[in-house]
Amino acid sequence: MRIKAQVCMVMNLDKCIGCHTCSITCKNVWTNRQGAEYMYFNNVETKPGIGYPKNWEDQEHWKGGWKVDGGDLVLRTGSKLGRILKLFYHPEQPELDDYYEPWTYDYETLITSPRRKHQPVARPRSLISQQRMEIKWGPNWNDDLAGGDDARQDVNLKKIGEEIALEFNDIFMKYLPRNCNHCLNPACVAACPSGAIYKREEDGVVLVSQDICRGWRHCIPACPYKKVYYNWKTNKAEKCTFCFPRLENGLPTVCTDTCVGRIRYMGILLYDMNGVLDAAKSPDPKMIYAQMLGLIKDPNDPEVIEAARKEGISEAVLNAAKISPVYQLIKGWNLALPLHPEFRTLPMVWYIPPLSPIAKKAEDKVYLPQSEAMRIPVAYLAELFTAGNTNIILQVLQRLLDMRKVMRCKEVGETPPQNLEFDVYEYEKMYKLLAIAKYSERIKLPAGLQGKTHEQLRELQGSAGYVCPGGFC
Amino acid sequence: MSGFFWSALPYIAFATLIVGTSYRYWTGERGWSTKSSEFLAKKSLKVPIWLFHLGLLMAFGGHVIGILVPKSLTDGVGISEHLYHIIALSGGIPAGILFFGGFFLLMQRRFGNPRMKVNTSTMDGVIYAVLFVTIITGFGGTILNAVGLLGDEFNYRECISPWFRSVLAMNPDASLMSETPIIFKCHVFMAMVTMILFPFTRLVHCLSLPFEMFLRSPIIYRRK
Repeated sequence: MRIKAQVCMVMNLDKCIGCHTCSITCKNVWTNRQGAEYMYFNNVETKPGIGYPKNWEDQEHWKGGWKVDGGDLVLRTGSKLGRILKLFYHPEQPELDDYYEPWTYDYETLITSPRRKHQPVARPRSLISQQRMEIKWGPNWNDDLAGGDDARQDVNLKKIGEEIALEFNDIFMKYLPRNCNHCLNPACVAACPSGAIYKREEDGVVLVSQDICRGWRHCIPACPYKKVYYNWKTNKAEKCTFCFPRLENGLPTVCTDTCVGRIRYMGILLYDMNGVLDAAKSPDPKMIYAQMLGLIKDPNDPEVIEAARKEGISEAVLNAAKISPVYQLIKGWNLALPLHPEFRTLPMVWYIPPLSPIAKKAEDKVYLPQSEAMRIPVAYLAELFTAGNTNIILQVLQRLLDMRKVMRCKEVGETPPQNLEFDVYEYEKMYKLLAIAKYSERIKLPAGLQGKTHEQLRELQGSAGYVCPGGFC
Repeated sequence: MSGFFWSALPYIAFATLIVGTSYRYWTGERGWSTKSSEFLAKKSLKVPIWLFHLGLLMAFGGHVIGILVPKSLTDGVGISEHLYHIIALSGGIPAGILFFGGFFLLMQRRFGNPRMKVNTSTMDGVIYAVLFVTIITGFGGTILNAVGLLGDEFNYRECISPWFRSVLAMNPDASLMSETPIIFKCHVFMAMVTMILFPFTRLVHCLSLPFEMFLRSPIIYRRK
């Protein structure tokens, strides 16, 4: 057993209202500069939908993530020799139009236009070529199922062989906020020819060294979640940093901090590093979720604590791990699931699948439907979170439904149902964490990972970033 | 004047290449990049980039053989001048076509696509112009020489090659270059200009061969 600490995030999709606040606050902090204006380290997608960049989930096309080949775990993008040949032209690298062409508007015409018969119009102008452009696609073009044909192209729908019905009575959708998953087995790290991307030992955050990056661009197609981006100005790779300067001071990421629906939970997980490879190459992709649970160790087990201390994990981190809300959600109640575990990168941002609107069953005169009769097809959720294993989704949804039943009974003074999995007290705890938990209960991060004082950090303000000194860019 | 061009400038060029490149590596590593533009214009890159780099490697190999292997050596093993030229041209002409063809397509892409402006610095424009003249004089001179327009007595293996070797031997003999046709003088001069500019352009990417990838483990952990 070789214990490592990982900063981890859980998102409760039941509460996501798709407001994009996380994307905007993240953008204001990290990517509101030239070369990065098309990037969203965090974005919110409507599912079903093709997402950002277009069809990122289709690994037949992008060749992202890992695959098992003759018992070995190999990058889907190819062998080392084959990858060297892709240094010149990478056939699977997404281009600008796969994301969208960023634009602004000619606002000046609104005030400089002479008197005319018609109102002056601020027309769109490309932020890349500075020429007038026609807007054909944007970062959230199919938000709320806008453009039904795009939603039909969702690869998960194709996999479950379900033709999406766009009649109002059957329609379903949900939101999926996405940032870098800071995977335990990151494909971007493995694909980097220069060794510029690394996983931090202290907290598991995956970062790109801007000094070592040579702009070979292999990380971008290799990441199956398309969460590494190419800065066209500095010609280097950039990605979500998990707001590490905040983490080091015991603060959560900006997206977590500003989440309006309070859907995000952050905390420490302790995992066994020695088991990562075996978990990533389990023969049956449906078993990867179970294998991931096996990697995560009980932070209260004395043996685990002993092993963690041997690895030099600080007491502050160990204490945070013991009260970690994400451990409770992932391993305590098995509510949170990894996004697309079949990519085999072992992502560390987990999702609690949403209960659907129950309008479909309103005529049944039941308070809550059965978990298999929800509006969002269980098979669809299974494609997203369990590599197609519907049993796990049904179990999670049933637990969430049971929690609601228990709380309803408590509220109206009825006796709770008899055939419950957990005792009532456990459901109350679940309710507290999922529904009404305060900031300090949702986020348990240790302070003091950084070696600098606040004064020293303040001196750094404005001097750190992704600029390109030397003038050779 | 010829003393400066053929005795001093080569050393200035080599020195700038080595000192400039090291200086840039130690001071401005963050700007050390291929400056890839595949992201901005993917389709127009697919074929030209291969033509260009393949032609470049072939042309480079040809130069190494043509310059560093003395004529006496090939004469000694019984390769006649005529046979040597057939071999050289059969490699050189395709290399030139690939190299120049690729370069032309890349130039078209770089200066024809409005998106590419954001990826093109002033220095890129300069190095494109320098490379254009270098390639056109080299390729053009080779063809003129092959059809006999540069006169029968000119043989680059009896003037340019020994001159270059004399430079390498730290004993430059500028007189060897005196009979060289102007087009080849121009070619050699532009090659030296390229060497001087090299450290300050995107060309440095050719020194970043990622062979460490073959040795390292797939996942890298690093302490803060």
